[in-house]
Amino acid sequence: MPHGVCYLWNPWLVWLHVISDALITFSYYCIPFVLVYFIRKNRDLPFNRIFWMFGTFILACGTTHLMEIWNVWHGSYLVAGVLKAITAAVSVLTAAMLIPLVPKVISLPGMIHLQETNRKLEQKIAAHTLLNTPNETPLRRRITGSYIVAVLLITFIGLSSWRGSRLAADDSDSVAHTYAVMDALELTSKHVIEAATSARAFALTGQVPLLAHYQTARDTVAQDEHALRELTIDNLTQQHRLDVLDPQLSATLEFSERIVSKRQQMRTLPIPAEILESEQLMNAVRTTGQAIQKEEMQLLSQRTQKTRTGRRLTSFIIVVGIFVGAGLLTLARTAINREIAMTAGARSQIITLNGELEQRVEQRTAALQSEIVERKQAEEALKKSRATIEQAIKELADQKFALDQHAIVAVTDVQGTITYVNDKFCSISQYTKDELIGKNHRILNSAYHSKQFFQQMYHTIANGNVWHGEIKNRAKDGSTYWVDTTIAPFVSSEGKPLQYIAIRADITERKQVEEALAIQAEQLSQQAVELLQSEADIRKLNEDLEHRVILRTAQLESANRELEAFTYSVSHDLRAPLRHISGFSRVLSDEVGSSLSPEAQHCLERIQEGTRRMGELVDELLNLARIGRHAIECRTTDLKEIANEVIAMLKPETEGRTVEWHVGDMASVQCDPVLIRQVFQNLLTNALKFTRPRACATIEIGYMNEKDQPTIFIRDNGVGFNMKYSDKLFGVFQRLHRADEFEGTGIGLATVYRIIEKHGGRVWAEAELEKGATFFFNLRTQQHLEVSGKVNDKETRIGAHV
Amino acid sequence: MKSLESDILLVDDSPDDTDLALMALRKENLANRIVIARDGEEALNFLFCSGAYSGRSFDNPPKVVLLDLKLPKIDGLQVLQKIRNDPRTRSIPVVILTSSKEEQDIVKGYSLGVNSYVQKPVDFDQFRSAVRSLGLYWLVVNQPPISKSLGNV
Repeated sequence: MPHGVCYLWNPWLVWLHVISDALITFSYYCIPFVLVYFIRKNRDLPFNRIFWMFGTFILACGTTHLMEIWNVWHGSYLVAGVLKAITAAVSVLTAAMLIPLVPKVISLPGMIHLQETNRKLEQKIAAHTLLNTPNETPLRRRITGSYIVAVLLITFIGLSSWRGSRLAADDSDSVAHTYAVMDALELTSKHVIEAATSARAFALTGQVPLLAHYQTARDTVAQDEHALRELTIDNLTQQHRLDVLDPQLSATLEFSERIVSKRQQMRTLPIPAEILESEQLMNAVRTTGQAIQKEEMQLLSQRTQKTRTGRRLTSFIIVVGIFVGAGLLTLARTAINREIAMTAGARSQIITLNGELEQRVEQRTAALQSEIVERKQAEEALKKSRATIEQAIKELADQKFALDQHAIVAVTDVQGTITYVNDKFCSISQYTKDELIGKNHRILNSAYHSKQFFQQMYHTIANGNVWHGEIKNRAKDGSTYWVDTTIAPFVSSEGKPLQYIAIRADITERKQVEEALAIQAEQLSQQAVELLQSEADIRKLNEDLEHRVILRTAQLESANRELEAFTYSVSHDLRAPLRHISGFSRVLSDEVGSSLSPEAQHCLERIQEGTRRMGELVDELLNLARIGRHAIECRTTDLKEIANEVIAMLKPETEGRTVEWHVGDMASVQCDPVLIRQVFQNLLTNALKFTRPRACATIEIGYMNEKDQPTIFIRDNGVGFNMKYSDKLFGVFQRLHRADEFEGTGIGLATVYRIIEKHGGRVWAEAELEKGATFFFNLRTQQHLEVSGKVNDKETRIGAHV
Repeated sequence: MKSLESDILLVDDSPDDTDLALMALRKENLANRIVIARDGEEALNFLFCSGAYSGRSFDNPPKVVLLDLKLPKIDGLQVLQKIRNDPRTRSIPVVILTSSKEEQDIVKGYSLGVNSYVQKPVDFDQFRSAVRSLGLYWLVVNQPPISKSLGNV
């Protein structure tokens, strides 16, 4: 039976329930969505299992209300019951989970920590912000309280609803039952009356169809009555009434049967008394039926009255609950919103803090990486240094080996007790290692050295310094040996010696040699003294010699000066009388020449000629002397140019003669151009002079390489000379021709010789009588000249010193 | 009384040379006013109007001094140096006429400010020619530094 029946299909009541249930359902369905959203947004939300449970619980509650709406029109009470059972289970579970959670929720540490952080941060931000910050704990308590109230309220509403629905269902059942009883009663009455009526009609008419109709009705009455009894089995009053009805029904049916059988068998019509009796019987049935019906209706009325009161209460509770729930939800929503906002703030704070933290972590990571790099480097360095140390240790071992191979090695402690000796030490000292180790080094003392010697040694090494010296030691058999010794202290970090290492080399042989040498040295020094004596003598002799040289040089210089004075006198004093002779003889000739005899005139001419020649001679001698004093000034000189200039100068002397000049190419050389010009002038003048007898004089000037020496030659086709006199050729005043043949002073070639000699060169001639002559000369290279110059410098310096 | 004025002061200790020089100059009619000094001292006395020549005036210097180098008492180069060192005589033309052809004499003479250097040739013809040329040049061709004396001529 649909629940609407319970509401008596009162539209107002039905829609009140339906809308209320719908709103509750909607609200209940909304809450889980909000929760799911909330949980999804706050993934770090604590206790989210209880949120899920709570959501499920609210969802279940909503569904029961949805079921309520369904049941208004369809009576699926079993489904509704199962749903409610599920809801109840979920409710209980949620409550069971909720209760132990409450204290945890109150002292939610994460949130408190966040709030603390938030509070601190806000303190930092601004004072007024701090003042406005609400204290969150009471709010939390309020939320928790509201939550518990809401849960209790919803539980209460749920239970009320459940009870209401139960009442509604009962009500619906009893209504349905009442209607079923009434239906059964009506059917029974109808069938009885129908059977009685049909029987009466058959008895009156005898029509067979009526008989059939009667039989059908009569057969169902028993069933109907049985059903009625079944339906009212829980109601004793009705059962009693049925007990009254039952004989009435039987009497009616029996009476009907009687009149039917009478009609069939006797074919007689019922009498009016019988019809009246039938009518009375049926009335009795009707009366009882109405009593039963009345009783049922009364029951129904009582039940409805009773359930209506309950439902009103339930509805009131639901409405109040809905409003309180809605209010609580609103509160919860506000609180949750605030929480969300706070959480969001806190989260943003956390994000900021996280950012800072990450930054710090990055910095720290960077620092760590740098540390790692440094550590790696340090490890590398350590590895390297370990390798170096290993290498060093190996090297040390090698060196020790090498040392042991080479030297006598011993190690002692600071007291001089031997702690280590190598094989060489044993070998030279003739002790075994066992005999030496633990003994004082003094056992080797040969008593050769003084106490001071060892004191000085110990003083040196005790102060951390290396001592080096030669020691004479005594071997086991009493023989002595010399060792060149280096003692190095191994010092502690404070600089104090810990032990000493003595490295020695056997120098016994050397010492012996040295001793022998010392004797020889003694002898040598004696000799050296003698030598020094003789050297002193030599020095004295040298000094005398130098003194003599100085004297000699002074004498020479004096002579030179005299020579110069002589030259000067020659130039000045000798020329004056010549000039006078020449002058006065000329005056005489001019004044009285015409009155003199031709012989006297000739004498005067001879006097003049003599003075002229004497003048020339003096001039050339002066020239020669001047060349001797002239300092060479070398420069690059074009010889061909000089030769051509001299030829041009000699032009007047070639007048009336045929002279062929052949001037070849000549290199530029380093020489004194003034002096070399004099050379060319003298040689070419000679060539002209000695070719005078030739009709055609040929004079060739050329340049050739003679034994890698650049050599200039002047060749003529003149009278030549006999080579046997060639040694006289360059002498002063030396002439190879008579004066009446060829004039000359005998100074020209001497001058040439002087000039070439000053250039470091050589001049020579090749000739044959009447076949011409060739004069050659070369000049030294520049380097030679420079060397020569240096030599001159040296001489000059010596001269200056003197 | 020695001549106090002259066109040529001939300084030479050799009478032979001075005679020959005078002969050469006379031939050219240039020997009118020649004063001969026999040594350096006399030459300086003449030029600086001192000693025997104290009556002289600086207003009439010789037109040229012919100076031998080898002189008794004070040699030619010293005489030259004194002439050139005194502002009163500095501008007088001086010609060295000597037997020497030594380079050092030539160089020193010019460095002391001589106007000309002539070596006496051995050959008389050449000597005569040289003296004549000198006389003509310094007395006739050359314009003396002080023209006042010309007015007196």
